[in-house]
This record gives sequence, C-alpha cells and structure tokens, in this order.
Amino acid sequence: MASDSKILYIKGDRDVEVTKPDVTLGDLLSMECTDKLMLAKIKTLRIVKFKKSGRQRCVVSVLKIISCIHEKFPGADVQNLGEADIIVTYEDQKTPALAWHIIKTVFVAAVTFFGAAFSIMAFNNDVDVTKLFGQMHELVTGQDAGRFTILEITYSVGITAGILIFFNHFGRKRFTVDPTPMEIQMRLYENDIQTTLIEDAERKGEEIDVGTTGTSGSNRT
Amino acid sequence: MWAQQVLLAVIGLSAGVAVAGGLFSFIVELGVIADFADRTHTADQILFYEDCTALGGILGNLVYVFQIGIPAGDWGLAVFGIFGGIFVGCWAMALAEILNVFPVFMRRARIVRYISVFVISLALGKGFGACVHLFQGW
Repeated sequence: MASDSKILYIKGDRDVEVTKPDVTLGDLLSMECTDKLMLAKIKTLRIVKFKKSGRQRCVVSVLKIISCIHEKFPGADVQNLGEADIIVTYEDQKTPALAWHIIKTVFVAAVTFFGAAFSIMAFNNDVDVTKLFGQMHELVTGQDAGRFTILEITYSVGITAGILIFFNHFGRKRFTVDPTPMEIQMRLYENDIQTTLIEDAERKGEEIDVGTTGTSGSNRT
Repeated sequence: MWAQQVLLAVIGLSAGVAVAGGLFSFIVELGVIADFADRTHTADQILFYEDCTALGGILGNLVYVFQIGIPAGDWGLAVFGIFGGIFVGCWAMALAEILNVFPVFMRRARIVRYISVFVISLALGKGFGACVHLFQGW
C-alpha cells in the first residue's frame, strides 16, 4: 500500500456525544496525517454501531481504534495524543421540551434559594448572633444595646460582600475573569463521572477493546 | 462614642465576610449544587443557580438578623420547608459522601451488594429521626 509508514496523529476527547447510530472514527477523533486521502478514508471507518432507540453509552479503548485503523492500513504509524479511553454516548436527537427544562431549572433554583436562606438562618441561630451582638455591643460601648445596632447592619453588609466576592459574579457581571467556584465544581464532578464510567466499564469487561468482540453499546442505566 | 461605633462596624463587617466565606464554600465545595445541576441536566444554568444561592443567603440573613416579618402564611412556610428540607438532606448526604463514609464502611463490612438497600434505610432513618426530634420538641 502506498500509504505505508505514514504517521497518523489522533486525538480524542474523553466524552463524546453522537447523534447517529453509526459511529465513525471522524466522529470520535480529530486526526492529522500528511496523506490526505488516507485521512479521509480513515475518518469514515466505522467503530461502533448502536441500536436504534434510546440513550446508550459505551466505552471505547483507543487500542480498538488503532486496531481498526490497522485493519485497513497495516502500515500506518498511529500516534495517540489524546485520551486512552473514550466514552461514547448516543442519543436520539430529541431535545426535551423547553417547558420541562424550565420547570427543572425553577425547581433547582427554589431549592438553592430556600436552602441557602435556611442554612444562613440555621447558622445564625446556632451561634445565636443576636445575643452575641448584644454582648459585643456591651463590651465595646459599655451600654446595653437597643434592638438593632451598627453591628447588625455591618454584619449584613459583610455577608453580602463575602458571598458576592466568593461567587465572583452577580447576574451576568463578573468581577474577575476566573471561573466561579460552582463552574469549577461542575467540571470536577463531570470528571469524576467520566472516570467512574471508564473504570466501571473496564472492571465489568464491557469496554470495547482489542480483546473483545462486542460492538453494541450497553444500555445506559 | 464614634470610635466605638467604628470599632463595632469593623467587627461586624469582618464577621460577615468571614461567615459568608466559610458557610458558602462549605455549600459549594461539597458539590451539592453541582449535583443538582447534573441530575437535572441543567448545567447551562449554573450561574443562575449561583445567583439564587447568593440571594438566598443575603435575604435569609437579613430576615433573620432584623427579624423581618413575612406574611406568607402556612403555604409559604410549607414551600420554605419542603425546599429547605430537600437542600439540607442533599447537603448532609454530600457531606457523608465527601468524607468517604460509605466506601469505608462498605469495605470494612465487606458489603458488595444491596448498597441501594442501605441508602434507602439511611434516608428513612434520617427522616424518622427528624420527625422524632421535631415532634418531641427537643
């Protein structure tokens, strides 16, 4: 074959979502090779075939991808620059109704709002800030405090400032260019999920690897 | 007199910032809200959820400290109760999760199956405990 000893660079993401049941290498990877013809052919090689319906997911080892390439191009020198395992999620392109999305968003918003309100009240109640403010007021001024003092006002200002500084934004307005703590947490959580999926598949032997023959995705649980 | 007020103001302000930082990093770093966003597949709204958390904290504190009356009636209380309860329940479990309570116990007791049974009995136990605590007025 003319394309012998060409170096093919492949790079895949850890988590890929596809909408067609036939998954080709071009869907999973970005590739680079000096032989453009070979590149175009490799991109159309099929690696996984899902059953038609529902949401399914499988984990593909990059070794399987390389062996798939070697089947057609035995001489290709494949260099993997990306992940070693790729999670492929197949979903029928049915976007859920907007109304449902809004309902869920409103629900989570209500939980976070009331939950945060409850937490701060529970904290204030736990340490009895009202009494503590009275004691501090007496310590500093020597007089019994009235109902509300400057302490309550500045404490509330401080809470507000602290929360906004911590979250690093309010509404669309960001105070610095850093991602907010919640965005970081979200990414960490996604990472954990991906690691779990890959290791689960490996341990159960469901991963599509060079040793296995199965090419149908397992049902998503 | 003025010096005292200024001193009190400084104390109050720093106390507020410190409490806000501590409490809210406790909420966020346990990943409760990231969990919610992921379960409901609404991760695109994460900034909105942050705003809600921030607003809840700010308003909740104002209501508590200044003892503002809210004429919301029993139904308002019920709304507050159910959402607050869901949040605290998830929070408590997130804390247990982050401290690796389950993996340690499962490993020690060599439990490999029926983990869902333990989770359910844990939830029922929490609910039962809360009921007893509240109805007994402890």
